[in-house]
Amino acid sequence: MDMLISSERLELAEAVRDYLSGTHGAEVLRRLDAGPNRDPAIWQGLVDMGLTGLLVPEAQGGLGMGLLDAALIARECGRVCLAEPLVESAFVATPWLIAQGQTGDLAAIVAGTHRPVAAHTINGWVADGEGEAIASIDPLRRLAALPEAASDDPLLLDLGALMSAAQLVGLAEAMLDQAVDYAKLRTQFGQPVGAFQAIKHKLADVAVALEFARPVLWRAAQALEDGAGSAALHVSHAKVVATDAAYLAAESAIQVHGAMGYTYEVDLHFWMKRAWALGGAWGARAFHLARIDTAVIGGAHPIGPENTFA
Amino acid sequence: MRLTYTDTQQAFRAEVREWLAANVPPAPLLTLECEEGYHQHVGWERQLASGNWGMVTWPESYGGRGLDLVEWLIFEEEYWGSGAPLRVNQNGIFLLGPTIMEYGTPEQKARFLTPMAAGEVIWAQAWSEPGAGSDMAAIKTTAYRDGDHYVINGQKTWSSRASFADWGFGLFRTEEGSQRHKGLSFILFDLDTPGITRRPIRQLHGHPGFAELFFDDVRVPVENRLAGEGEGWNVAMATAGFERGLMLRSPGRFQAAARRLVELFRQHEAAAAPSAREAVMRAWMDTQAYAYNTYGVAAKIMAGGKIGAEASLNKIFWSELDRAMHRTAMQLLGAAAELRHLSDGAINDWLEGYMFSLSGPIYAGSNEIQRNITAERLLGLPRVGAG
Repeated sequence: MDMLISSERLELAEAVRDYLSGTHGAEVLRRLDAGPNRDPAIWQGLVDMGLTGLLVPEAQGGLGMGLLDAALIARECGRVCLAEPLVESAFVATPWLIAQGQTGDLAAIVAGTHRPVAAHTINGWVADGEGEAIASIDPLRRLAALPEAASDDPLLLDLGALMSAAQLVGLAEAMLDQAVDYAKLRTQFGQPVGAFQAIKHKLADVAVALEFARPVLWRAAQALEDGAGSAALHVSHAKVVATDAAYLAAESAIQVHGAMGYTYEVDLHFWMKRAWALGGAWGARAFHLARIDTAVIGGAHPIGPENTFA
Repeated sequence: MRLTYTDTQQAFRAEVREWLAANVPPAPLLTLECEEGYHQHVGWERQLASGNWGMVTWPESYGGRGLDLVEWLIFEEEYWGSGAPLRVNQNGIFLLGPTIMEYGTPEQKARFLTPMAAGEVIWAQAWSEPGAGSDMAAIKTTAYRDGDHYVINGQKTWSSRASFADWGFGLFRTEEGSQRHKGLSFILFDLDTPGITRRPIRQLHGHPGFAELFFDDVRVPVENRLAGEGEGWNVAMATAGFERGLMLRSPGRFQAAARRLVELFRQHEAAAAPSAREAVMRAWMDTQAYAYNTYGVAAKIMAGGKIGAEASLNKIFWSELDRAMHRTAMQLLGAAAELRHLSDGAINDWLEGYMFSLSGPIYAGSNEIQRNITAERLLGLPRVGAG
């Protein structure tokens, strides 16, 4: 039993964090919002890091890594509010295709020239799909009508929910950082507003929610990577707490920003809108709570202290 | 990350389970906050010690088993899952013990740790004073040197276990004229030393769970000081780190309560408010999250890391989830919530537990203080008030 994420696994995520924080700041989001909202150069950068092949076996030219690695990187994508469809394509659709035995396109997937989309019936639409466009409040999200061939496979749903949870944690972390930065800068009554306990305690609550969402997320990722029978329950747990943490972070961050937070001029809105989108995608709160209900109250899953890792 | 136990860990779990099944008292003990219940719980501590279960992580030379923190968590899971009694010695084994392990001299370790693990000496804490609660650096009780002794004068309050316990530990001002965090020393004292008066304080539930302590020229040998003179604040902060961060509230206790809450919900499901259903799921989710986090902290410490200010996040989380679970139970019980005994004659544990849970966000540093620490030390927001 070891809940520590190994330094080898953390190193890649940290390299991705360094790369994205250096190349994908808020100015990029503003530029994409004003233009076509996808950028081949950004996509190519992700391809060059090997991320499109992260979950593709080494024999097929990928990095052959696991879902915990993907979740760690999906969180980084959330932190920078990445617009390119890396997570849904490489971390959701690709491992599902591999699990289905559909490995014909893997070379093109690794090369970044083929981006599979993950169409599932739980969603009313598909992100970065081919069909008729549907408007999202998230200006960087591209939604298309759900194709008739959409799957209802539970594994695809769990992959989508897990990776949404990972992005939601990253989004929430970024919104907390933005609120903290603003609270240090903005002065009223002769001091930074962050010196007031009303602000401190609000942001401390976000830190608490995140501190106890992260281990749930990593535990769910490892369970799905291991193919554990209870993985679906743990994915639902992660999706619920990540969604709750992201909503709390968003509402707290906008409040700390005051009237500035209600404008399009402060970048917070990009992260907030992505959180709304991903909170509802791949099974909204009610869907995942229903799965927890069946397992925990319904008695399908053993609970109590002796069953921490059941 | 590996989510499975080794064969050795599984075998250890089986051994703990077997011993507890044969030894846990079949009927619940009286509350340890009353005199008779206190002595029952001391008896249980000695029974635990007879099987070398007093503190499994301690070296065998002090009555432990020399096990690691994952094995300690396994022990705790089985312990709370079995319905075993509360630990009357928690101030000693979980707070003072690790502090002595880190700061004590070899003589102090030999003198205090073995009887602590054996349940022979039960410890009370003595931090707060009437004017030093959340602001602990405002401590006024003095312990001035007179030859080989300190002479203690002043008053401590909210001293857990002090109505009945054998020894106490706390912070005292050893340097005349010193201010705030400076000039404090960490001193251990026999509660029966002449000059100490204990005044039990009746708690919410009616029992004298804590006490005021009055010190009137109390002479304590210098060798009862832990670490250097004037270094008490840092030693106390280390103790508080253990308290908030890992040991005081192991997850098993809350997971056991969450399981009982699920069972209570099933009994009352027909009459339950819709909100209770989610609150019950929340109890499972939060207690599981707390357990995963604790395993993570344990792994970090085993890899050579330390618990820092994130201990404050921990304390906020467990104290508020505990209160929420018991509040949900009170609502599920409905009109029966006020009854001290339920229809089968048993103590209304949910009511007792709810009252106790109200103290969680207050003791061990109020949650308002924990939120300040979180904001200032983890998030980097500007400090206010006295340093």
